[in-house]
Amino acid sequence: MAGVYDFVPAVALLPFLAFVVSLFAGEYMPKRGAEAGIIATAGSLALSVWTLLTVAGITGPATSFNENLYTWVAGGEGAVTLNFGILVDPLSALMLVIVSLIAFLVHVFSLGYMNDEGETGLPRYYAGLGLFSASMLAFVFSNNLLMAFMFFELVGLCSYLLIGFWFREAAPPSAAKKAFLVTRFGDYFFLIGVVGVFATFGTGLFAPVEGAETLASFPELAEEALAGSAEEAGVNTFGYDPGTWFTILGLLVLGGVVGKSAQFPLHTWLPDAMEGPTPVSALIHAATMVAAGVYLVARMYGFYALSPTALAVIALIGGFTALFAATMGVVKQELKQVLAYSTISQYGYMMLALGAGGYTAAVFHLTTHAVFKALLFLGAGSVIIAMHHEENMWTMGGLRDRMPVTYYTFLSGSLALAGIVPFAGFWSKDEVLFEALIHGLGSEGAIGTLLLVGYAMGLVAVFFTAFYTFRMVFLTFHGEPRTDTARDPEPVRWNVKGPLTVLGIGAATVGFINMVPVAEVTGREIDYLHKWLAHGDISVTTTEHYGELLHTFAGVDPAELGPVAPGAVSLVLALAGVGAAWKLYNVPDPEEHTDKLGGAKTVLMHNYYLDEFQVWLATGVTVPLARAADKFDQGVVDGVVNGISSVSLFGGSRFRRIQSGVVTNYATLMTLSLVLLLVVFVVAGGVV
Amino acid sequence: MAILSEFYLLLSAAVFSIGLYGILTRSNALVFLMSVELMLNAANINLVAFSFHYGNVTGQVFSLFTMALAAAEVAIGIGIVLVLYRNFEDIDVTKAATMRW
Repeated sequence: MAGVYDFVPAVALLPFLAFVVSLFAGEYMPKRGAEAGIIATAGSLALSVWTLLTVAGITGPATSFNENLYTWVAGGEGAVTLNFGILVDPLSALMLVIVSLIAFLVHVFSLGYMNDEGETGLPRYYAGLGLFSASMLAFVFSNNLLMAFMFFELVGLCSYLLIGFWFREAAPPSAAKKAFLVTRFGDYFFLIGVVGVFATFGTGLFAPVEGAETLASFPELAEEALAGSAEEAGVNTFGYDPGTWFTILGLLVLGGVVGKSAQFPLHTWLPDAMEGPTPVSALIHAATMVAAGVYLVARMYGFYALSPTALAVIALIGGFTALFAATMGVVKQELKQVLAYSTISQYGYMMLALGAGGYTAAVFHLTTHAVFKALLFLGAGSVIIAMHHEENMWTMGGLRDRMPVTYYTFLSGSLALAGIVPFAGFWSKDEVLFEALIHGLGSEGAIGTLLLVGYAMGLVAVFFTAFYTFRMVFLTFHGEPRTDTARDPEPVRWNVKGPLTVLGIGAATVGFINMVPVAEVTGREIDYLHKWLAHGDISVTTTEHYGELLHTFAGVDPAELGPVAPGAVSLVLALAGVGAAWKLYNVPDPEEHTDKLGGAKTVLMHNYYLDEFQVWLATGVTVPLARAADKFDQGVVDGVVNGISSVSLFGGSRFRRIQSGVVTNYATLMTLSLVLLLVVFVVAGGVV
Repeated sequence: MAILSEFYLLLSAAVFSIGLYGILTRSNALVFLMSVELMLNAANINLVAFSFHYGNVTGQVFSLFTMALAAAEVAIGIGIVLVLYRNFEDIDVTKAATMRW
């Protein structure tokens, strides 16, 4: 029977087809390849929705799917087999819908941002978008770690191609290179982690594949090894204690996550990536590249839940990044820069939730963030079109009356980002903080304290988030226009307003899928996302199972606490941030209050000098080290080799002289040799 | 009275040395050929002398073979001398000092 799961590969293959078509036939299409991308992503969206409905049990009986489709390295005795396979469970079905929805809207928006602006090289652009969507979708439904890694890398490659789209200017190629290299640095650890996982477990499956014989997944094997002995589970821990070894593996894979999801200290590539076209920024930040890291942690959560150390590291990185990036967002002058730092900060929240055992909260925030951040970026794109590609907020102002659709949708996204009730971001951010708090209070020992530290940083970041968000809104849309362009902005068309409207409504309503505080107060069962992720055919990827793992192995337990009071605290903080921004910037003629920060402003404008530090690390440490190694290689290693060869070279050049070519000389030599031989025989007294 | 074997050996050594001297000092290819011939025949004298000394004809038969071989060698040698002359207009062996020209 041809069910929906037979069509799941097409979710990724359609955009891939669009990539090929745009690349080779884009020049001959009226919209330069956009048609292919729009049709393909619309198809992916339809298939994803169908998949989601099937997983929900509405359009079919089978609510999950996990099979290997293609074996590309068949391992014999004692060797690993490498497969391509598809895993569809509630998490991946949800993510497929998000990614294909955002990809579709970004394609439509690109008609307005790229085609209407008369850009050249559009087939290359749409081909890049197609490949980007395809890689991300394939990454989402990967059923093993190696396949995930491959598409993870492809996502990185596509971001490189698209960030550097305007390669004739100076900044974009350098930003693209930076994005590629920084994420590659993280992926290096990820690759070692992948090899480690295969060497340890002999499999990279995220969830067991049912078949003639059930193939176990690596989180399960790790669980068995921790519960019993490693030998029984067939796990090779290379002489380490299993707990320690799994923590090491988890942290190695986390390296890739930190790079891709732009977490401290590998976040520096993301603000620079704003050099790419704005729709690409929307795609990168909302649904693809940056989301890939967090999604990977969620995908193999059964593995991370076994290690309290890894969880604590994740939570701390997340909490710190959330606060750290939010403070930098406060002083930025360019619209997209503010959004870039908000992205880093929001992904920090997701990491905090994952580290604190709030799996559902993280997925929830990933969902809502995808919607409202795509909205904000597309809104920013709309403003940038209107302002003739001027991005400095100080040249804007008063755009509210001149572009109402953009304003109201952008406002919806901003309210969501700031976390104001009842917009999407409020529900998800509130739940992230709530989970961090209750697990921090409920867990014994160091991990509880660390989670509370993460919670505190996340809580402070709420204020900053609300402040910079509304500083951005007020500077852009309120007050008096500060330049002629802002007085008479260029109008935008349906292909910009359409995606904005869809996402604007989404940003206001997506949060209703999981209103935990309301469910708690009214006693009604409306926390749909919790239920969605809690059950499933594949029992090892459900939150029920993760809860047990967290309790048994990591010692992370929730405390008994109602969600209303913590929610109120974060809401008050968010409102305080909005209020502060209102007071300072919602005036007809705002001034740069950031100057009053003095030295702090300089530090923040320079992003805490992290870029400088990384450059110093490269030029001050790595280069001399490399130079010394080069010297050693050239001098000592090559010296020995050259020395040995020069001896025979010299000997050969001297010895060659006896080959004069004159017959008489040869005859002489032969005679003399014979005489010599005879003399030796005589002296030695015979042949023997 | 039979001549002592030592004298045959002395004769043979003298002929061989003359041949060797010719090869080492002359540069004319034809003189070379003659010198080689001298050395070969010195060896023949030795063979015959020892054959006579031990009363065994094997050495004499062997010297017949050597003479046949020497004849063949002279044929090839003369051929080489002809080619040498054709290429260099001379039969000086020291002029042909390289394998290709």
